[in-house]
Amino acid sequence: MRLGFNFTLGDTYDMVQRLIAERHIDYCEFLIDNFFCVDPNELAKAFDCPIGLHIMYSKFLEADRPMLVDFAARLRDYIDALNPIYVSDHILRFSHEGRAFFHLGEIDYSAEYEFVRDRVLQWQEIVGQRIHFENYPSIMDGGREAPAFFERLMKETGAGVLFDASNAVCSNRNCGTPFEAWRNVIAGAQHFHVAGYRNSLIEPFISLDTHAEALAPDTLAFLENFRSVFDKPGATMTYERDDQIEFDDIVADLKLLRNLFGEPEERRHDLALSA
Amino acid sequence: MLSLPSRTDRDLYPALMSPVLCANYPTDHKAFVRIDVSLRIYWHTLFDICPELLELSGPDGMSIFRPFMAWAGEKKLAFDWSYYLWVYVWLRQSPFKDRLLADDKYLRSIMAASAARWAILDRGRDCGIVIGCADTKNLVIGWKCRSVRLGREIELIEPEEPLPAPPDIFGYFTLQSFELDIFPGWQSLAR
Ligand SMILES: [Fe+2]
Ligand SMILES: [Fe+2]
Repeated sequence: MRLGFNFTLGDTYDMVQRLIAERHIDYCEFLIDNFFCVDPNELAKAFDCPIGLHIMYSKFLEADRPMLVDFAARLRDYIDALNPIYVSDHILRFSHEGRAFFHLGEIDYSAEYEFVRDRVLQWQEIVGQRIHFENYPSIMDGGREAPAFFERLMKETGAGVLFDASNAVCSNRNCGTPFEAWRNVIAGAQHFHVAGYRNSLIEPFISLDTHAEALAPDTLAFLENFRSVFDKPGATMTYERDDQIEFDDIVADLKLLRNLFGEPEERRHDLALSA
Repeated sequence: MLSLPSRTDRDLYPALMSPVLCANYPTDHKAFVRIDVSLRIYWHTLFDICPELLELSGPDGMSIFRPFMAWAGEKKLAFDWSYYLWVYVWLRQSPFKDRLLADDKYLRSIMAASAARWAILDRGRDCGIVIGCADTKNLVIGWKCRSVRLGREIELIEPEEPLPAPPDIFGYFTLQSFELDIFPGWQSLAR
């Protein structure tokens, strides 16, 4: 399992450089559309490691085709310059009747399957490559339908799933989606996210995917119980931290992940050569 | 017992941005907490970025937040980057008007907040946005991230020769390069 860190804006540049230099991470994941005004060649030289691309605001379920074509044309420049390990996007709602959510909305997995499938096919065709779609940290009970939805989506569109393990933990805590229900999705996925969550301020408590705290015991237990389903050749896991960015805390979590999954195959090879 | 549908987020979409609709849900239900989480983010997006506004409203912000969100609902505001500017438009016709206009720190903070939000969220090809206001000669510019080591940047400009005032309270124009070298005229805010 290769470990990575999410790079969303310039202020964590030095820290990410240090994570790479000290070999706490093996690759870096760009929130790529935050950097659409940065020269692709500058971005390609920014870090001396492999890169994953994570799209935040394509809004491919809501945007019209000309907007998506224009977005994809710019994305393409970065794909060509960076040759990423993967390209990923989100299945969620940014707005309702033209009014933006500030806390993004989950879709209705049973009522919207066909619509989403067609949009996924169109979006992959426009970008010209396979895209890995991330699962949502469900709150309402409809989230129990997510595992079957993603399984079917992979089968019928050839898309990948960027499986966010702590989102699945939130979903388990909030609406009881069993971890076991994700087994086939995890087995079919190569790229993963993991992060901390916290409880809502008021009761009945719900768990929120905040990316601002240490990995929770149930997240680590989930990874441990399914370790062999997660780990596979080429697999990646991005540790996401968007708030409370403390180097030592992040390294402590990365070490837990390293202990759990061991050195990645590529690194073992390097170590053998240098020994 | 909850008689409103709440199986999915989708059942709650209209309430996720409406304190009025939120009140229809019993407080001990998960749907209420989910809506509350969403509303808190609208609240924090406003008051964490423009904390001066709490001097007007009092520490919980509710005397601004609740009536503004209700007004925004009636006007069907898109809640795009101009979110803060619309708060100013609302404040200007509210009982807070005199205190708002007595100190230009409120306006400066609001214009900077909207410029920053544009620079973070806009996915068009433009590099920058210039925001002007009928209540000031100053301009605020938001620049998108232009280098891997930098974030977005916000600039306050006090022009020697002021631009003509925008026809509405606010106007804006966008820049296709990282230079302020044109004035194509003011665009009005979209709702
Ligand atoms: Fe997450
Ligand atoms: Fe994630």
